[in-house]
Amino acid sequence: MSTDDNPFDGPDKELKRGPFQQWVENSIKNPQQVYRAMLYVVTIFFVVTTLFPFYWLLVLALTPGDRISQAGLAPAGFNPEIFLTIFEQVPFLRYMFNSIFLALTTTIIVLLLASLAGYVFGRLEFRGRGPLMLLVLAISYFPPAAFFLPLWDLFNGNVAIFGISSPSLYNTPGSMLLPFSALFMPLSIFILTTFYAQIPDGLEDAARIEGTTRLGALFRIIVPLSAPGVATAGVLTFIAVYNEFFFSFLMTDGRAQNWAPIVGGILQFQRAGQFQTTYNAMAAASIIAVLPVTILVVVAQEKIVSGLTSGALKE
Amino acid sequence: MATESPTRRGGDTESKRSGTSSAVTTWLENLSEAQFAYLLLTPAFLLLGVIAFWPLLSTMQLSLYADNLGAARIGAFVGIENYVALFTGEKDALMPSPFLPSELSVDAFFGSALTVTLLFTVIAVTFETIIGFGQALVLDKEFPGRRWVRVAIIIPWAVPIVVQGMIFYLLFNPNIGLVVGTQQNPTFLQEIGVFSLTPLANSVDATMIVIVADIWKTSAFMALLILAGLQSIDRNLYDVARVSGASPWQRFRYITLPLILPTVLIAMLFRTIQSMRVFGVIESTIGSSGCTTVPSLSCLVVTTFNNNLLGTSAAVAVVTAGIIALGVSVYIVGYARSEMV
Repeated sequence: MSTDDNPFDGPDKELKRGPFQQWVENSIKNPQQVYRAMLYVVTIFFVVTTLFPFYWLLVLALTPGDRISQAGLAPAGFNPEIFLTIFEQVPFLRYMFNSIFLALTTTIIVLLLASLAGYVFGRLEFRGRGPLMLLVLAISYFPPAAFFLPLWDLFNGNVAIFGISSPSLYNTPGSMLLPFSALFMPLSIFILTTFYAQIPDGLEDAARIEGTTRLGALFRIIVPLSAPGVATAGVLTFIAVYNEFFFSFLMTDGRAQNWAPIVGGILQFQRAGQFQTTYNAMAAASIIAVLPVTILVVVAQEKIVSGLTSGALKE
Repeated sequence: MATESPTRRGGDTESKRSGTSSAVTTWLENLSEAQFAYLLLTPAFLLLGVIAFWPLLSTMQLSLYADNLGAARIGAFVGIENYVALFTGEKDALMPSPFLPSELSVDAFFGSALTVTLLFTVIAVTFETIIGFGQALVLDKEFPGRRWVRVAIIIPWAVPIVVQGMIFYLLFNPNIGLVVGTQQNPTFLQEIGVFSLTPLANSVDATMIVIVADIWKTSAFMALLILAGLQSIDRNLYDVARVSGASPWQRFRYITLPLILPTVLIAMLFRTIQSMRVFGVIESTIGSSGCTTVPSLSCLVVTTFNNNLLGTSAAVAVVTAGIIALGVSVYIVGYARSEMV
């Protein structure tokens, strides 16, 4: 840089400088500006890398099936009808319904049971509190594969208790609702325990003196006051179930009428025929499947951030 | 038990209501705090008992019985023979993929359940920590549009695993040709030898693709945990350091890094536990042969189960849990040290 400056040594040096040298000069005087620029460059890099795959899905979806190998960074053609075609090729609407139904039902079951458990762990003193909490925590550490074989037997009627065989739940919502509820409950219990513990004792005591019952105090005082915590636990459970793969994949045969969630629907596009014509359908189906969680993330990002951090860091 | 007396009075006023509900209420009000606690925990523990604790114990029991390919699905009690067979490789011929590599070669390492899972975990968690740390440092700054940058960074974390798999299946599909191409039309990455001509069928390439997919999706989780740690650091420390003339690098090295280390270790612990159970992203990124191309431990549980090797399958599941436990204990020791410093 300094060699460039030499010919212009003189009184009018300042005027003859190119914008780049001026920028360098400024940066040396004012490093804050450089940090700022670096921050923006790094931010743009992260945003591009996280969002590019979605753009790529859109490119593939819009490219007509027979021209898919010509798709580059822009679609080779324009075929928005694919977003309707996929609903005709497979019962994708039913798959979406199954996923949302499973996620909502699990969320309700988890919130009910975890509210009671979180209240007990957060606000009551009793023998065995520590060991019981540890027992709950231990579950979230085991891989789903460690539960799989016995649950498979249980849900296929192969387990008999007192001579009565277990109900055959394979290909029904129950075969997924039960494992989802049990395995995602620990996180909600920990989030709600933290929230319930923060409510001042005085509020509950006051309600009790007024004549409210114990359960009344829980559902009329404690739960409404910890609504943010309940919402957080609910959003995280919904996303976890909607995204789940292991049991969604193994506990049904993948057909929509047998309650298979979107896992079944999208894999059907992938495996039905590895013909070039299905790539655009796979991309379009993926975009549709992502929409519900994307909306949830945009609406509830504060809840997600606080829930993940309180569930993971406080315990 | 200061609330004992209002409890009783409360019960009396409520008992004006008639019928069974008042009887239940009175009964509830007269329980001791411990009894009430156990009562409220019953539904949750009933569910956990049947769907979580029983299957775990049952898996452990099943792992002690021989495989039986006949009508009776479970053979004789064999003690720890299934575990011995896993580590000595006795059953490798029967199993879809071996548990340990039979020889010291790259292909054997990427083709065996234990080693490919460990490689996946170490590489993925390392990169996720570095990238997540970078994302957290960016999100910790104030700038216009920060809220939307945060949404963009979180979204991959919220994407269903099957969609994540589909994205990377399409990105690395030779017939589409963005990252990899066909023999007639190879891409730059294939010409310099990073990827073979059939990356989704080659164990080494496929493992790398699955790792990239995992890093893309879960760096955000790391970022959010580390961000929470960053924001809990007392800002006054930085002011003091600035006044004393510490450079930005020194402020990072002597304030941020030591204070954030425990949080980073916890985040890495969570990611390690999750990575060791990797299954869905393999099955959906690589296609129906995914679990034999990249045979992670969870994949091996499922593929041995599909081949009716129930005892072996259960033994692999228990060993997986045991290896995760080993990993967890390494972090706990590291965490205890970082807290002491």
